[in-house]
Amino acid sequence: MTSKRFILKRLLLLVPVLLGVATLVFAILHLSPGNPARVIAGARASEAFVQRIENDLGLNDPIWIQYGRFLGDVVTFDFGRSYTVRQGTPVSTVLQTFFPTTLELALLGQLFGILIGLPLGVLSAVKQDSLTDHFTRIGALAGISVPIFWSGPLLIMLFAVQLDLVPTSGRLGVAYDNPEITGLITVDTLLVGDIPAFVDAAQHLALPALVIGIYATALISRMMRSSMLEVIRQDYMRTARAKGQGAKITVMKHGFRNALIPVVTIIGIQFGSLLGGAVLTETVFNIRGIGTLLVEAIQSGDYPVVQGTVLLFALLFTLVNLGVDITYSYLDPRIDQ
Amino acid sequence: MTDTSDSTAAFRRYLRASARLLAGSALVGGALGTAVYLALLVVGDGPRPASTTAFALGALVFGFGTLGWSGSVFLGESVESAQRFLDTESNWTEAGSRRAMARLAGAGAGAMVAVALLGSVVGAL
Repeated sequence: MTSKRFILKRLLLLVPVLLGVATLVFAILHLSPGNPARVIAGARASEAFVQRIENDLGLNDPIWIQYGRFLGDVVTFDFGRSYTVRQGTPVSTVLQTFFPTTLELALLGQLFGILIGLPLGVLSAVKQDSLTDHFTRIGALAGISVPIFWSGPLLIMLFAVQLDLVPTSGRLGVAYDNPEITGLITVDTLLVGDIPAFVDAAQHLALPALVIGIYATALISRMMRSSMLEVIRQDYMRTARAKGQGAKITVMKHGFRNALIPVVTIIGIQFGSLLGGAVLTETVFNIRGIGTLLVEAIQSGDYPVVQGTVLLFALLFTLVNLGVDITYSYLDPRIDQ
Repeated sequence: MTDTSDSTAAFRRYLRASARLLAGSALVGGALGTAVYLALLVVGDGPRPASTTAFALGALVFGFGTLGWSGSVFLGESVESAQRFLDTESNWTEAGSRRAMARLAGAGAGAMVAVALLGSVVGAL
């Protein structure tokens, strides 16, 4: 197992990460124009009413006092109450409502990227400079280059409008009830044993997950190819082949695990891109997740929701990368020593 | 025994160098923060908006530096190896990035402290 000291060190790094993100968001929101009190009160409210809200929210205190108070609240995960998006509701409750949708989307996108990207990368490396390799590389380059706001509508046109294979938007058909146990609809429908609802939820998620997973697939396959090519040239691979081991077994038994180390790193790093991509994907597919919530909160000047959402993204990204670090020691036991 | 004392001495040297780097950049940041605050005070609406903007600018630099520093420590080596595998190698290194980000964080923190002190004094007048 990975040493406790290593994990503790990584967990301690969460402190500067969250401090940095919290400070950055605080600064950006205070530099941007607009008065939250005016947003809450409405355009027609009197100046006296706006000032009363400012006093209630502590917006009249010097900025360093507000900053100190904000950091204190962040430590206790208290992001305050939503100004506009869900007026008066605690931000933690708002996040609990919207977050599972985005998590489900990002995880499915990641899964799609891993399941397609890894075999493609291995195939591309094993058949280096063949037609398969050229197609895979061109596909990977296209996948990295094409933006979600372009690929999304195109795939909707093809799979939903022309072929009528999947729905164009939403998370679940109106004929089905959302059980709301974990918030992840595919998991919840399975938990209650409602298979038709599960199939419907999976159909709704397929296209957004595909769109968000294209980028992940492209990056993972390209990384896997480079890493596998380096591993294939190692002496131990040649030795295994010289001892009479078949090519496929050599690649899968000795090569795959060793080639996986840098790929796992990329999987962790690009999880942040998947969360960022969810903002666009949710907008394109009209899914009510954290992405659409964030856009709405930014547009309406809902500071607490923006701060809570960004901090949640940062926390999740850091934890995923901590998981990646722990995975290293499984893939390469020398790291533990 | 020698190994332990060597590593302790090296750690002390590292701490001294880090403290020097942070203190130096905090001083520079403090001077810049003061200059920005005074400039905003002269051309702006008054002490309150001036201190808000100057402090937020300092916080922006501090936040960027802190996030960059922790990002460098967290992912620096991974980024170095990813660059190598993707054939996009550059002169970027984890250690260099860490030092640069620490300087930025120090400067931002210096500016925030300077503006808070100056703002409190001006506000009390």
